[in-house]
Amino acid sequence: LLGLTLLLAFSLRVQAQTEEQTGQSEPISAVPIFTMGTGFITFFPGGTPNLGPLINPEFVVPIGQNFLFETRLDLEADLVPDPNGPGWKGPAEKNVDYVQLDYIANRYLTAVIGRYLLPFGIYNERLYPIFIRNLQTDPLILPIEAGDYGSGTGAQLRGGFSVAPDVELNYATYFSAHSDVTYMGSTREAGGRVGIFLPAERLELGGEFQHLLESDHTNSFGFYGAWQPRPLPLDIRAEYARSEDGSGYWLESAYRLSQVPVWNRAFRHVQAVARMQQFFLGNPNVVSNTGLTANTNQFEFGLNYYFRDDFRFVSSYGRQFSSAGDLNIWTVGFTYRLVLPLWPGGGR
Amino acid sequence: MIARGSVFSWALFLFVALCAAAGPARAQETSKQLPVSAPASGSGTRTSASAPASAPAPKAPGDETLRIEGEKRFATNCGRCHQSPHKLPPRMMATAIRHMRVRALITDEDMRLILLYMTQ
Repeated sequence: LLGLTLLLAFSLRVQAQTEEQTGQSEPISAVPIFTMGTGFITFFPGGTPNLGPLINPEFVVPIGQNFLFETRLDLEADLVPDPNGPGWKGPAEKNVDYVQLDYIANRYLTAVIGRYLLPFGIYNERLYPIFIRNLQTDPLILPIEAGDYGSGTGAQLRGGFSVAPDVELNYATYFSAHSDVTYMGSTREAGGRVGIFLPAERLELGGEFQHLLESDHTNSFGFYGAWQPRPLPLDIRAEYARSEDGSGYWLESAYRLSQVPVWNRAFRHVQAVARMQQFFLGNPNVVSNTGLTANTNQFEFGLNYYFRDDFRFVSSYGRQFSSAGDLNIWTVGFTYRLVLPLWPGGGR
Repeated sequence: MIARGSVFSWALFLFVALCAAAGPARAQETSKQLPVSAPASGSGTRTSASAPASAPAPKAPGDETLRIEGEKRFATNCGRCHQSPHKLPPRMMATAIRHMRVRALITDEDMRLILLYMTQ
């Protein structure tokens, strides 16, 4: 706490000096906004249809020039055919993904308090929203990244800044307390992530570490990479993670067919995605929270059609191989995102 | 069985990568020809369309340079996760970019330049 206080005091001083020297301030008055990602995805794992409606309402409220309050809820259902009659049946899941107050102290530091997404890897924090992810199925190693809840309750220090021309450093460190609050559970843990981003090459590499401060006090670590070759509409992303539950990786490439010379008006809206992943079980005495009971390989191929940048049709086919049994996984659905102002005049 | 799946998955990944490498030239040309103020999609025309086309404010060369730099930063940073998000009204965009600074850890300089580009 003393260190945090000193760091914030130093940051306030740096911020004041910076503003005195440059006279810079945000020229446009920010307004509160409401945004929502929503979708209806139908999964066919092993041929059984699962209906997955999902809504992620989110409120973002700027306060002054340096504060931001943001919260996002996760409301989703997993419906399967009712074996006792017509219709569908399944649990509805409700969760508070985050409710946090951010203080942008200066160009180097942002302090976050409240409930936040665990910054372990990049999938849980950046790529998880339904309107961002290229494939609607979760990576097999996501339970390692996200833990039991996907979020932590406590404080975070994070930031991104240039350390040299065309070299940016980003970091996030966090401490989370244990919480049994309904829809806002978390475990006691601490960790951090650091990454290097090379804007000229559009390449980011990083790694993360986490230590569980309760239960069996285990460690987890991982690495990630993301690359967008400049001349191509191609995204390549990969992650590796390891914990007591096991270890594994995923590697995904997504290519927007905007360069196809024929039928370009149609093809430029199409995105082809491929992902492969492997998962290896860890300590046999530990029950894995991944739900997997054997080493598993999985590949997926998807096609997405963007009607607009915020509305798209998604589909994919995947095949899972493991000694526990092979499985086909189909998905088909729609995703949509809307953004609305919550302040008079905000839409002008 | 597992080995077969792994080999097939790698082959699929390589196939997509090779397809992607087939025609890079046209994308380069297209990106060079795009005007910096072009909206990304249909709904993105709200901001630019609301400005009177007949009376554009004169811009200093420095403004144009900053706007071009902002477009570059936009493509480099926002394009890492988003598929060309459309422009929002300026006051909403100021909130969105502050949110993304925290979430995606973009730098202070990138935030200012992207906001400049996205609100013009």
